[in-house]
Amino acid sequence: MTAELTSPLIEIAADPVALYELSLEQGWGDGAPLLPPTDERVHQLLAATPLAADHVLGELPPRFGSATVELVAINAALAGVQPEAFPLVIAGLQGLLVPEWNAFGLTTTTSSVFPMLMVNGPSRDALHIDYRAGCLGGAAGRGSMTIGRAVSLCLRNIGGQRAGETSRTVFGQPARFGLCFGEWEERSPWPSLAERRGFSTAEEVVTVHGGKGTYPLADVNNDDPADLAYTIGKSLAFPLNNWYLELTGDSGQLVLLVNPMWAARLGTSYPKIESFQEALWESAWQPIELFRPGNQQVLRDKGRVDAQGRVRLAARPDQFVPVVCGGLGGLHGVALTSFVQSEMQSVAAAR
Amino acid sequence: MSELAASTKTWSIRLPTAPPAADVSAATFLLDRPIKGLRVGLRHEGSWRSWMLIVDEWEHFLRRDGAEPVVLKAGGRVGEEGEQTRADVEAWAKDIDCGISGLGTCGSCTSNSVHDAVTLEQAGKPAIVAVCDEFAQHGRNMARFLGHSNLKALVLPYPLEALPEAELRRIALDYYPQFLKLLGATA
Repeated sequence: MTAELTSPLIEIAADPVALYELSLEQGWGDGAPLLPPTDERVHQLLAATPLAADHVLGELPPRFGSATVELVAINAALAGVQPEAFPLVIAGLQGLLVPEWNAFGLTTTTSSVFPMLMVNGPSRDALHIDYRAGCLGGAAGRGSMTIGRAVSLCLRNIGGQRAGETSRTVFGQPARFGLCFGEWEERSPWPSLAERRGFSTAEEVVTVHGGKGTYPLADVNNDDPADLAYTIGKSLAFPLNNWYLELTGDSGQLVLLVNPMWAARLGTSYPKIESFQEALWESAWQPIELFRPGNQQVLRDKGRVDAQGRVRLAARPDQFVPVVCGGLGGLHGVALTSFVQSEMQSVAAAR
Repeated sequence: MSELAASTKTWSIRLPTAPPAADVSAATFLLDRPIKGLRVGLRHEGSWRSWMLIVDEWEHFLRRDGAEPVVLKAGGRVGEEGEQTRADVEAWAKDIDCGISGLGTCGSCTSNSVHDAVTLEQAGKPAIVAVCDEFAQHGRNMARFLGHSNLKALVLPYPLEALPEAELRRIALDYYPQFLKLLGATA
C-alpha cells in the first residue's frame, strides 16, 4: 500500500525547461536543471526505505523545517536519485542531524563548510559512487552526483539554507552543489573508515564530514614513507588553517584523501592506521616564530603554544582521518579541511 | 512506461519546501530598576578581540555604576568542550540578573551568540544579543528560528575588527547607555 502524499501538488507544463524555470523562479532549485518530483517517482523512492513517509528525521536548520521522509524523497526525486540509492540520502541526513555535527552552526556560518558524504560498503559500484579517478568531481557517477545533491537540496528546501540570506557563507564552495564519494576499500592497507568507526564490511555506511574545502597536496620528492608522512603533516598545519583560530584543537576532524599508490607505500611503514595518524599529528605543527607578532600573542593567550614553542594543529592523532580513494596516477593527495566545531558522524543505511 | 515517458501535456509535481515555522516569540524581560547592585553578564567567545576590549571597558563602567560584571568566555560547541560550554552558559544564566551575549560578527558566532542569549532569556532574565550591523538581520533570523523573535539586539558598527584600540574604547563608551537602556535599567 502506498502512502498518501501530503506535500502541495502543482500542475506544470510537461516540459523540462518549464520545470527548470519554475525552480529558479520559486527558489527551490540549485541553479541546475532538475527532474520532476511526480508522485510516481516519489513513491518509488519511498518504497526503497523502511521508514514511513510521515516519519520525521529531524528539524533541519537553519529554519528548523521538519524533514519528513516524504519531503526528503521529493528533493531526492528532484536531484535524480535512484530508488536503490535513497537509503544513503536518508543516512546522510541522519548523520548531519546528530547534534554533535552542529548543523545549526554549519548552515549559518561565514565559512565555506558543507556536508561531505563518504560512502563505505558493498553497494558502491552498483550505486555508481565514485571512488577511483576523479572521485571528487569529473567521474560523473550517478550515485555520487545525485546523493550529495539531494542532501544539498534538503538543506536548501527543508532547512531553508540560502547563501546571503540564512547562510552567511562568504565564498561557499563547489561541494555546496553536493559532494559524495566512496572509499577504495580494496586498495587500502588499513581497515575502512566505516570499520574504524565500528561498522561491519557488509554495511552501507555514510560518513558525514563538515569539510571546508578540498586542499590539494602533491609530492614526488619524498620516497621514504616516513618523509612523506612528515611532509603531509607539516603541509596540513598551514598557518591559516581554521584550527588555529580556535581556543583549543580538541574538536573536529581533517579528512586526508590518500591515493592508492601512496597508501600502499605508507602501509609498509605504517601497517596500523593509528601509527600513520600518530605520524601525521606528530609533524602537524608550526613553530610559533612562523606567525607574525600579533598572531603569536593571540596564540599564546589561547594557550596554543607548548613548552617547545610548537603550535599544534590539533589535539590528538585520531583527528586526522585518512581515506583511500582517487586514481592510480599517484603524486596527489587532498585534505578536506576541518570546520573544527563539528564532529564527523557515520550512519548505516537501512533498507 | 513511466508517466514522464508518456505523452502528457502536464506534470503534477510535489513542492519540495517545508512550510515556514510559525513566527512565535517567547517572553522577554526588562529590569525596570537601576543597574546598581545587580550581577550583569557579559559573554564573549574568546575570538573577537574588538568585542573583548568592549567587554573589558564595560566591566569598568558597570563597577563604576555599582553593578557586578560576570564575564563568561564561551568555548567550543561540540564534543566534551561543547558539553562544558552548555553547562557554563546555563550556570552563567542562573547566576546573573541580566546580560549580553556577543559578538555576532560572523555567521556561526552570530548564531551562537543568539543561542546563548536565548538561554538567558529562557532563564527568565533580561537578555541582549550584541551583533554588528552586517549581521543584524542574520541575528534576527536566528532568534526567530529559535522561537525568540523579540530578543533584543544591540547593533554595533561593522566591522569592529582591526579598528584602532582608541576607537574601540570610544565605541564602548558610546554604546554603553544603549546597552543599559535595552536591559531596561533605570537611572
